[in-house]
Amino acid sequence: MKKKLLSLMLAGAMVATVFAGCSSSTGADKATEGDAAAATEEAAGEEESVALMGASDDDHTLTVAAWDANFNIPALQAAEAAYQQKDPDFKLKIQEVSASSDVENAVTLAGASGDYSQLTDIVLFQDHYINKYMTDYPDAWQALTVDADWKGFSDDKLSYSTFDGKHYGMPVDNGASIFAYRTDVLEQAGYTVDDFTGITWEKWLEQAKVVKEKTGYALLSMDHNGDDLPYMMMQAEGQSQWKDGKPNLVGNDTFKSIIEVIVQGAQDGTIILANDWSEYTDSTIIGDQVAGVFNGNWIIATMKQNKDASGKWAITTIPTLSGKEGYAANGGSSLYITSNSKHADLASDFLAYTFGGGDGAIATYDAALTNGGVISCYGPAGESDLYNAPDEFFGGVAANAQIVEMGTHVPAVEQNDYHYPLREKVGALITNVINGNDIDSEIQSAQEQMEFEMDQ
Amino acid sequence: MNKSRSIQRKQQRAGWFFLAPATLLIFVMSFWPMIQAFIMSLQTGSAANMKWQEPLFKNYLRVQKDQLFQLSMRNTFMYLLIEVPIMLILAILLAQILNNKDLKFRGAFRTMVFMPCAISLVSYALIFKSLFATQGLINTVLMNLGLISENINWLGTTSTARAVIIIGLIWRWTGYNMVFYLAGLQNIEYSVYEAAKIDGANGWKTFWYITVPLLKPTIVMTAIMSINGTLQLFDESVNLTNGGPANTSMTMSHYIWNQSLGQGVANFGYASALSFIIFIMVGILAFISLKVGDTRD
Repeated sequence: MKKKLLSLMLAGAMVATVFAGCSSSTGADKATEGDAAAATEEAAGEEESVALMGASDDDHTLTVAAWDANFNIPALQAAEAAYQQKDPDFKLKIQEVSASSDVENAVTLAGASGDYSQLTDIVLFQDHYINKYMTDYPDAWQALTVDADWKGFSDDKLSYSTFDGKHYGMPVDNGASIFAYRTDVLEQAGYTVDDFTGITWEKWLEQAKVVKEKTGYALLSMDHNGDDLPYMMMQAEGQSQWKDGKPNLVGNDTFKSIIEVIVQGAQDGTIILANDWSEYTDSTIIGDQVAGVFNGNWIIATMKQNKDASGKWAITTIPTLSGKEGYAANGGSSLYITSNSKHADLASDFLAYTFGGGDGAIATYDAALTNGGVISCYGPAGESDLYNAPDEFFGGVAANAQIVEMGTHVPAVEQNDYHYPLREKVGALITNVINGNDIDSEIQSAQEQMEFEMDQ
Repeated sequence: MNKSRSIQRKQQRAGWFFLAPATLLIFVMSFWPMIQAFIMSLQTGSAANMKWQEPLFKNYLRVQKDQLFQLSMRNTFMYLLIEVPIMLILAILLAQILNNKDLKFRGAFRTMVFMPCAISLVSYALIFKSLFATQGLINTVLMNLGLISENINWLGTTSTARAVIIIGLIWRWTGYNMVFYLAGLQNIEYSVYEAAKIDGANGWKTFWYITVPLLKPTIVMTAIMSINGTLQLFDESVNLTNGGPANTSMTMSHYIWNQSLGQGVANFGYASALSFIIFIMVGILAFISLKVGDTRD
C-alpha cells in the first residue's frame, strides 16, 4: 500500500516538475532567440543532418541551399563569379544537401515550428511547391526588392512565383518539355522526326505501334510512381487539371481523352510505365528500351548516359489531341529569398543582376550551361554564341537554343497547392483503368478523393 | 526490526532515485509529444497557425470517409494476418532445430538466421526492390531457367507487390523472433524431455505438449511485438513499392507520412489523428493477445 502511495506521489511530483520546467523554458527560449541563428550556423558546420546553415550576418555574404553538384550548384557558382564583377567582396556560401526533398522538408519543418532561423538567405526548390508554401507559410518569404527583366521569361515560369503582382522567385533552370526521338530507330520503321511533329495523339499511337512492331522499341516511357505525363499533356493542350482551385477531372473531355491515350499506349506496349524513377531512367532510357523521351529538358542529362545513342536524337514539339504543335514544361526550380535573411536587398540585387537578366546574366547562364548543363529559361540568354553552338548529341543541331525558344511558348495553366497529391491520384486512376476498371467511375472516384483531401 | 525497515526504505529510495532520470526522459521524449500530438489531432490548418477543428473531433470522424486510409488499413491488416503467423511458426521451428545439441555448426547457423536483422530496413528494402525489378535478378534467373517467358512486373502488380513485401518482412524478422524462442528454450529443463521420452512421446508430441506450453509467455511477447511492428510498417511500403501500384500496397504509416511531409501537403492535424487511431488499434490488439496468453484463471 505504502509503495503504491509513494509511486503515485513520485509520479505526481514528476509531472509537476516537467510542467513547471516547460513553462519556465518558454520564457528562456525568448531570451535566447536572438542568438539562435548564430548558434545554428555554428552547429551546421559540424552536424551531418539536413538542417540548413541559417542566414548570413555579413553584408557581402549570402547563404544558399541547393542539391545537385552536377547541375544547380555549378549554376550558383557561376552567378557568384558573375556578381563578384560588381561587388568584389561578395561571397556566396552554398550548402549542398543530398536531394531536393531535403530543402523541401527543411522548409516544411521550419514553417511548421514557426522557427525560420535555420533557413538560408536563399533557398532553391522545385516550382510546384511554392504555391503551397505561400499559402501555408506566407511570412516565410520576401518579395524581390529589385526588378529584373521579367519580360525575358515565359508566362508559365513566372506564374508560379508571382503573388499579388509581386515577384517572390527567381527562375534558374528551364523546365520546358522536349519530345526527343531516336532518328535511327524511326528510320528503320520508315519514319522521320517530321512525321512526329505537329500530329495528333491518335496518329502518334498508330505510328508508335508500327515502330514497336518493326524495331521492338517502345516510343515513350514515364515513371508511373510520380506520373508527369497527364500534367504535361494537358498543358500542351493549354489546359489544367484544376479549375478555380478545384480539381477539374469529372466532365473534362480533354482529360479523359488524354487518359485514354496513355492507357491505349500502355496496352499496345508503346508507352512503358515504369514502377519508379530509377527504373524509368536506368532501365528504360539508359537501358535502351525506348526510342522516345518526353519530359522536362533536364532529362537530357540522363539520355546522355546511353552513349551508344549519342548523335542519334532529335528534339521536336509535343503531339496534341487536335494536331497542333504542343508546348509544356515540367520541373525546373527557382530561388526564393526567405524571411530569415537580413540582406534581402543584397539578395534581390544579386538575383536580378545574375539570373534575372542584369549585366551578369550572359556570363552566369553561359557558365551554368558549360559547367552544369543548366539550360536557361531567360529568353535573351538563348541568343549567346554558346547556346547557338551545334550540339553533337543531337546530330549537330543547336538544341539548347531550340529549347530556350520552345520554353517561351509554354502556356501558363492554373496551378494548385495540391499538385503532387493530384498527380498521385491520377497515376492510380491510370493503373486502375489499365487493369480493366471503368474509366468514368475511376475519374469520378479520383475527383472525390481529391476533393475529400482538400476539404479539411 | 525498526532498523531493517529503515534500511529497506533507504534501498527503495535509492531504487526510485535510479529510476527517476530514465522515467523523466521517457516522459519528456515520448509522453509529452504524445500529449501534444493529441492536441494537434484536434486542430487543422497549416502547421504555422493551427486552428481548432469544428466540430472538435472532425479529424477523427473524417476517417470514415477516407477511402485511401481505409485501403491502407486493409493492406496493413492483410500483412498482419498473413505475415505474423507464418513468421512466428517459422521462427519457432527454426529455434527448435537450432536448439538441437547434436547439430554441427549450430552457432554458425544461428548467426546466419539472425543476420538479416542486423541490416538496416531501408537497405534491405532497396535490395529487395532491385532484386524484384522488372529487369532484376529474380526475373533474369526465372527467365534463364525457362520458368517464365516474359519478365514479370513484380512491383507493378498488386498481388505480387504485396507478396514481395510479405516475403521481405519474413526474411527480415524471422531470425529476430527466433532468438527469443531460443532463449525461451534454454529455460526448459532437459529432464522434462527425457521424462517424455521414457513415457513414449514422439517428437511432435513433445513439441506440442511440452515446448509450446512452456514457451507460451515468449510466444505472447513476440506476437505483441510483431503485431505492433506490423501495424506501424513504414520502410517497406515507402522504399520497396512506394505504396504502388495505385496505393494497393500502402500501409497506414505510409499514408500518415504522405499526409504530413510526404507530398508537401503538411496536413499535420489529420496526420496526428490517424496516428492516434493506430495507437488505439495497437492497444486493443495487445490487450487481446495478453488476455489470450494469460493462463491464470
